This record gives sequence, structure tokens and C-alpha cells, in this order.
Amino acid sequence: MGALLARIFNRDQQNAPPPINRAHDVSQQDQAVLDLKLQRDKLKRYQNKLEIQMEKERELAKKLLRDGKRDKAKLLLKKKKYTESLLEKTDGQLSNLETMVGNLEYAQIEMKVVEGLKSGNEALTMLHKIMSIEDVESLIADTQDAIEYQKEIDELLGTRLTQEDEESLLKELEQITQGEDEALINQLPAAPVGGLEDEIAPVRGASKQPEKRTAIAT
Amino acid sequence: MASQSSSEFEWPVLYNYPPFYTLQTNLDTRAKQIDAWCNLILNYFKYNKLYVLDLTEALASSPLFVNSQLNRILSRETASLILNTLDSRGNLEWQDKEKDRCLVMWRTPKEWGALIYQWASDNAFINTVCTVYELHSGDDTINEEFYGLELIMVVKALQTLQNDGKAQIIQRSNPDMSDAGVKFFG
Repeated sequence: MGALLARIFNRDQQNAPPPINRAHDVSQQDQAVLDLKLQRDKLKRYQNKLEIQMEKERELAKKLLRDGKRDKAKLLLKKKKYTESLLEKTDGQLSNLETMVGNLEYAQIEMKVVEGLKSGNEALTMLHKIMSIEDVESLIADTQDAIEYQKEIDELLGTRLTQEDEESLLKELEQITQGEDEALINQLPAAPVGGLEDEIAPVRGASKQPEKRTAIAT
Repeated sequence: MASQSSSEFEWPVLYNYPPFYTLQTNLDTRAKQIDAWCNLILNYFKYNKLYVLDLTEALASSPLFVNSQLNRILSRETASLILNTLDSRGNLEWQDKEKDRCLVMWRTPKEWGALIYQWASDNAFINTVCTVYELHSGDDTINEEFYGLELIMVVKALQTLQNDGKAQIIQRSNPDMSDAGVKFFG
């Protein structure tokens, strides 16, 4: 026993991680499915038995016929008929079992879907709790207050500028923009004075001139 | 059935070499001899898809140990020595205290487990309960290598999967696990 334990221990050491027990992942429904499937296995084995039996009976009937024992052969074929009916019945039972297994497995999937929806819903309500309507309302009200406060400050600062200040300010603004306009015009190339010098490409020259004019106007 | 297919089995050259049946005294030669026997046993079992060896029976009739052409039979002592070597290599497991019956594992339980798990995941049996019976004798596994696998080997294979958290064995009333089930996990 000690040697055996030592051997098992040694062998397990090679694939080191400790065994994981997932017995809790086997639900009651799984147990029920297993019960049904075990029952199905039993029926299948029973069917196998019946099939072998039928084959034997057929062979025996053949042999009896060859030997001229018609009555006995007839009796045997009757028995075979009965075995056949049993086989058909078990087929029905098997399909019942399989339907049941299918229903159970499908119901489990449905349950998973419902669980998923439930946890999604919980997460959503939790988010809503964090973000309650009162909070949002007070937040908006606070923001509104802050905006109004800012406006007041602006007004306070704005009243300091007199009408005169405003006028000189506008003048200065005009001066700056005018200076910029002149600088812009100076940057432009001079407009051509003569007629079309390049006769080879009159179209290009003609299209260029109005373009320049519009550039100045703007 | 087994004897029919064993005739197609390609015996190694040593099989028809009389000294192969006598335990060699030179230690080097002996190690090589035992090694050759180990390989022969594993190959023979794999070829014939056999899993259980009954030593008494094998020494009496199995062509593996009885070479009728040479009129040689492996002695029980030598056979035991070879089987114990297989045991220490992890390819064999004794089933009784008398060391007469053993499981010859030409594929380790882990390898079988991997094959079964592969089948389960290829055929969408993950998160589904299967019976152990349908794994080794069911309609869905007829073309699988593990079809017809010895029950005890199936259970061992499933245990390796269970240790890895890939499956959970659901035991029922039978202690030999013939009515057990298994649930595979993804």
C-alpha cells in the first residue's frame, strides 16, 4: 500500500497542478439528464439483445424448415414477430427519452439566457442608482448657478469699460485690420499690363487673369 | 478475432530468435532484451487494441509469449520482470495483488483523456452530460479511437481531465463506474 501510494504520488508529481473539483458545476438538471441518458443506454443494450435474439430465431426457423418441421418453424416465427414488436416499442421509448433529454437541455440553455438578462438588468439598475434623477437635477441646477455666477462676473468687468474706451478700441481694431489688408495687397503680383504676350496658350492666360482679380477683391 | 488479426501483426526479428526467450545474464544485453520485450508487448497490444493482460492465460496461449514455431515459452519470472519494467515506465498497472492481471497502457490515460476531450469539443458536448457507456460504446463514438476502450481506461482518462478541471465525473451506485456520467467543461 505504501509503495502504491508512493508510486501514485510520484506519478502525479509529473503533472503537478492540484486536482480541481468542479462537482458544484454539476446541477440537479445535469443529474436528471444523466439519469435519462443512463436509461437510454439500457434501452439500447436491450435493443441489441433483441436484435441478436431475432437473428437467432430466424436462423433456427430456417433450420427447422429445412428439417421439415413446419409447425415448429411457424411457432418460432410467431415468437420472432413478438420480439419485433418489442423492438418497435423500445424505439418509441427511446425517442421519448431523447425528447425529454432535449427538452431538459434546452430548458437549461433558456435558464442561462434568463440569468444573463437578469445580471444585465442588475448592472443597469446599479448604474441608475449611481446616476439618480435627483443627482442629475441638482447637477444641472449647480451648473446653471455657475453659469449665472460667471455672467455676473462678466457684467461686473464689462461695466468698467466706458463708451469712450469702446470707441478707441474699435478704432484700433480697424487700424490693425487695415494694415493687414494693405500688406496683403502688396504681397500680390502686379497685374499684367499689355495684351496677351503668349499667343501659343491664350486660353491659359485668359483664365488666369480673372482669377487674380477675384483674389484681390476678397 | 484477436488471433486472426494477430497473424497480420508484424513480429520483430527477435521474436524468432530463440535466446530472446531466455533471460540474458549480461546486464547490458539483458536491459536491451527487456526493452525489446516492452516494445513488443506495447506494439502487440496497440495493434490488436487490447488493454488487459492475464499473465497466466497469456503464458498458456497468447502468441505473444508462446512461440509455437520455435517451441519456446517465456518463463513466468521473465514475463513478470518485463511487466514490472512496463509498470515503472507508467505503461502498465497491476489490477490485483497477485500481479496476474494488469492493464497495458500503450496510450497513457492523459493521452486518452485528450482524445476524448477533443471529441467532446468537436461534437459540441461541452457543458453537456454524457454517460461513460456512450463514450466507449455509444453510436456517436463508433469512429473514434476510444470506441471499445476498456471501461477502467475510460475512467482513468476522465480522471486526468477532471484533475485539469476539464470534466467532472458523476458517480452513481456502481463502484466500477459502469453507470457513471461525465460533464465536460469548456
